[in-house]
Amino acid sequence: MLTVAGLGVTYDGLRALAGVSLEVGEGEFVTLVGPNGAGKTTLLKAISGTVAAAEGRVAYKGRDLARMRASERASLGIAHVPEGRRVFATLSVMENLELGSYRRAARAHRAQALDTVLELFPLLKARRAQLAGTLSGGEQQMLALGRGLMAQPDLLLLDEPSQGLGPRIVEQIFETIDRIRRERRLTILLVEQRVVEALELCDRGYVLETGRVVLDGPRDALLADARVQRAYLGG
Amino acid sequence: MASRTRGWLAIAAIVAAGLVLTLVIEERYHHRVLTLVFLWAAMGLAWNIISGYAGQISFGHQVFFGIGAYVTVLLVVKAGLTPWIGMGLAVAVAVLAAVLIGLPTFRLGGIYFGLATLAYPLIFRIVMDWLGYQEVAVPMIRDRPAWFMQFSEPRSFDLLALGVLAATLVLSRVIETSRLGYRLRAVKENEQAAEAMGVDAFRSKMAAYVLSAAPAAVVGAVYIHAILFIVTPDAVFGLLVISQTLVVSLVGGIGTLWGPLIGAAVMVPVSEVLDSTVGDRLPGIQGVVYGGALMLIMIYAPEGLYWRARQLIRSRAGRGAVATRAAIAPPLDDAVASAPTGSVLLEVRGVSKAFIGLQALSDVSFEVREREILGVIGPNGAGKTTLFNVLNGFLLPDAGQVRLRGEAVTGLRPSALCRRGLGRTFQVVRTFPHLSVLENVMVGAFVRERAVGRARGIADAALAQVGLGDRGEDVPSGLTTLELRLMELARCLATAPRLVLLDEPLAGLSSDGVDVMIAMIRRVRAGGVTVVIIEHTMQALLRLADRLIVLDQGRRLAEGAPGEVTRNPVVIEAYLGKRWLARMRAPTC
Repeated sequence: MLTVAGLGVTYDGLRALAGVSLEVGEGEFVTLVGPNGAGKTTLLKAISGTVAAAEGRVAYKGRDLARMRASERASLGIAHVPEGRRVFATLSVMENLELGSYRRAARAHRAQALDTVLELFPLLKARRAQLAGTLSGGEQQMLALGRGLMAQPDLLLLDEPSQGLGPRIVEQIFETIDRIRRERRLTILLVEQRVVEALELCDRGYVLETGRVVLDGPRDALLADARVQRAYLGG
Repeated sequence: MASRTRGWLAIAAIVAAGLVLTLVIEERYHHRVLTLVFLWAAMGLAWNIISGYAGQISFGHQVFFGIGAYVTVLLVVKAGLTPWIGMGLAVAVAVLAAVLIGLPTFRLGGIYFGLATLAYPLIFRIVMDWLGYQEVAVPMIRDRPAWFMQFSEPRSFDLLALGVLAATLVLSRVIETSRLGYRLRAVKENEQAAEAMGVDAFRSKMAAYVLSAAPAAVVGAVYIHAILFIVTPDAVFGLLVISQTLVVSLVGGIGTLWGPLIGAAVMVPVSEVLDSTVGDRLPGIQGVVYGGALMLIMIYAPEGLYWRARQLIRSRAGRGAVATRAAIAPPLDDAVASAPTGSVLLEVRGVSKAFIGLQALSDVSFEVREREILGVIGPNGAGKTTLFNVLNGFLLPDAGQVRLRGEAVTGLRPSALCRRGLGRTFQVVRTFPHLSVLENVMVGAFVRERAVGRARGIADAALAQVGLGDRGEDVPSGLTTLELRLMELARCLATAPRLVLLDEPLAGLSSDGVDVMIAMIRRVRAGGVTVVIIEHTMQALLRLADRLIVLDQGRRLAEGAPGEVTRNPVVIEAYLGKRWLARMRAPTC
């Protein structure tokens, strides 16, 4: 479904990604881990089109995305839930969600999508008239996730959904992601610092270090890998 | 050091070039254009001090230009006072006006400040009409023309205007390279972070406003004698003055003294040439051409000609060199067991804070002892960050009291608290994005140090302490999450704090980053600094904290040693969750 080949991104002379290749199959859940500055966020941004690639190719459902702007990629069904809960702070919860289904294909099914999202996040239902900026961190993260789902995407890019959240909320978020994926057969590419929880959820994973893929494989192989254990699991 | 001398040499070169032009030009009309270039450059520079450096866009800056013109001319007319002295009085009046305008108007943030400044020139226009000064002509004084600034030789006006420009350039340069300049840029980029780093934003803005009012008044006084000869409310308080000021500043680029200079050197001659060429044949067309040129520049160089040129030069120089960065190794864990001494550093008594419809904090009390690491935990929305905002002065509590070293500090501004030794970092790192990493940290160092050189030394040391010694020249956008958090910590340490409030310093860090940060925080404490830390990464916090307090829905739920708190069923229910407990009990831990 998603193919990234030889992708390179450079910021102001500083190389963030070099020759990264990865694949995400239809309905697959892929997790991307790695230390700070490895380029994980940059990779998601290059896929959704919010940063430009210097070299390499990104293809989605067989179409080359190189010349497409972020908005066009979104209209093809790629939803990016960025790091740090970027909700529209001065809009209400409802308005935030409605903006999520802005793309034409999603607008027709807005009501139905809304029902699903509110059922998934009962907390948002209770707070739907509240301004998003006044929500707590966990609620904002749920809103960001809900807004991503409102686009009824085929491919969901999640950037550190657990960041800055308390342990119990983190559990809930991971449970929700797992549920979405099981119930809706979504394709998911997840970037996470909570390596164990994130790898346990996925089918396959990639380890990114200083802008390169250094390791990849199915879940169990990665969890058992000595290097992963040493570097990320404190084993 | 080299770049410092280079800046002054460049100013000297500009003034020398101005002198040469003054001497070379023959035609009277060309002299007039030259005088206009100098004066509008000076006016743009004056505006740039408050709007460029401090970021407080003033749409009513002609008010000071007008005051300069009116006060000087009225003193000639009514008291026979020479404009050379009258100008000084006009500056005094403009400065007073700036203080009176600033006092209420700086309470408004962002664009509202700019909108409010629109009102003052309008008020002055009406007042001048009402006082009967619709038209005041500079009286011809034949016996001592030079004493009354009435030269027949156009070169004299060039020189006078050049003098004003040179003085304004020097003033701008002094501001740019002084503590005030760094503080203004910090306020412009992130006012809250600047306050938390000990910058009194209100006083800094006021200083900038006064310093930008003074040269504007001088320009107004000279403009009347060199160009207009008759003062009318419309001519000096009207829109033309501010639009010309904005044009030269925006075209050239704001936030640097070269911007208004370039803008005036380009746009003033263009408009004059258009007036005398196409404007002669097709009256009115010069405005269209001028507007078109302005639009082209705004489309192709929206940040101004100076910044555009600089960017082009930089990217040409930087191409090809692809740098890779060295990883930061965790410092040796020199966790000298420095147990809390037991004396109370910070005392929080019955603090409550409500927002509309939400009780964020209710009756929270606790103490922080010298040299301890106190962890604050609790679910999202429990009021942890609100607590920090009360402690460092961003928010005034509805009830309760905060005492720092026995002194009641409730209601003090963040900058005042910072000067008393309270530093903080933010949940989402707040940088001054257009300042280099070193300059970011220098803003913190200025709390204890006035001299720029020594502040740079302190900042260098703070960066070295967190392992960013070689990143000082980078801009924050080139840093990783870990490096940004370390930079923010260094900035906080540069203020020489007794107590630091760290808001989720581990958020977004990978496990090796967490190790680096933990070692760093331990080292900070080993250096005698007390630490209060909000964090969700429980495993890390358990390694770090001496004590935990738990907040839930704005109340203190529990307090005690980490082992005890994490076994408390109420805390597990509200925050940790049962699965977390299971994980912790797993054999690996």
